[in-house]
Amino acid sequence: MGSEGFGPRVAFTIPGTEIMVSETVTVTWFIMAVIMIITLLATRKMEKVPKGPQVVTEAIVGGVRTLTMQTMGEKNVGFTPYVGMLLFFIAFANLAGLIGLRPPTADVNTTMALALMTFFMTHFFGAKSKGIGSYLKGFLDPIPLLLPLNIMGELANPISLSFRLFGNIVGGLIIMSLLYGALGGFTEMLLNISIPFFQVGIPAVLHVYFDLFAGLLQSFIFAMLTMVFVSMAMD
Amino acid sequence: MLVGLTAAELRLGLVQFDWTFVFQIANTLILFLFLKKFLFKPVTSFMEAREEEISGAYNDAEEKNKEADAIKSEYLEKISKAEEEGRTIVKEASKRAERHADEMIKDAEHEVASMRDKAKLEIEREKTKAVNALKNDIAGLAILAATKVIEKDMKEEDHKDLINKFIDEVGDAKWQN
Repeated sequence: MGSEGFGPRVAFTIPGTEIMVSETVTVTWFIMAVIMIITLLATRKMEKVPKGPQVVTEAIVGGVRTLTMQTMGEKNVGFTPYVGMLLFFIAFANLAGLIGLRPPTADVNTTMALALMTFFMTHFFGAKSKGIGSYLKGFLDPIPLLLPLNIMGELANPISLSFRLFGNIVGGLIIMSLLYGALGGFTEMLLNISIPFFQVGIPAVLHVYFDLFAGLLQSFIFAMLTMVFVSMAMD
Repeated sequence: MLVGLTAAELRLGLVQFDWTFVFQIANTLILFLFLKKFLFKPVTSFMEAREEEISGAYNDAEEKNKEADAIKSEYLEKISKAEEEGRTIVKEASKRAERHADEMIKDAEHEVASMRDKAKLEIEREKTKAVNALKNDIAGLAILAATKVIEKDMKEEDHKDLINKFIDEVGDAKWQN
């Protein structure tokens, strides 16, 4: 903790407690509000013959549904809302960097929270669908000697899942802040004025890669891996 | 907390677990429940209902088509049957008419033949009558002539038989001509 580095800032401390609310949480609230408002607007006035925004809404919901069905199988279509939440939340969170906010996914607390939920879902639904006995027996496959390796492998999943997302986003964040700093320094050095002109336009290229491309890709990867882990544990 | 810094200037560690973790789990669950209740459930059920309605409409249409086809073939059959019946009726009628005409012609022929026979008989009768009349006249004339020739009163009654005999012998062949 300090005033330096790339960690999230503390937005406020809940009065009377030592609980510090970081900008990760406040930006998350903002993103949640945006998603909720879009949802409410998009599902308003549904008509039998869709037109305008309703077409987009139906395409998105239908797309997530199809993706879930294709990845997890017809019987697991009930996971659609969770997969959709992961896709939308992580995509919006990763894109928050574009409007100058700190992406909530650039905080290991967020990514670990998501990954642990996936982890618990994996094992809960695995045990539920296989029965607790054969589920636990699965850890002894193919030979009982591999039990510790199996357990470690399972524990590695949430770690790799959370740090993949976190590393991608925080890496982009760090590179972008370094670039902004460097461009600001260049303007001052070359033109001797304190208005950072070079920060206009030039970082856009890297924003497209780090925020748009990597951001959307990572949200897709996270959702895909969640689906694969859960459905693999189930059958 | 570091001295001399306000909360907003304070940065948490880059990789550090703290209360944010709890907040984020709660936030994620809230967002999940919200999306489930307000986005995925209503939109999915709406789309499914519409899909069902459309497929129902298609099935209905198909059924109606089938029904219409069945009715159509039924009617076609009926029409062809009616046509055949009509043809039979016409054939029968024309046959009957032909027969009737034949009969009428035969009747007419019969009648004509009988009328001709009757006419022939009549003519024969008239001829005989005329011949007999002539015979009588000629007999009379012959007697008259003979009377004048011999100038002798010949009794008509006495000689009539004789004369008639003569006429019959001489005249029959000639009168027939």
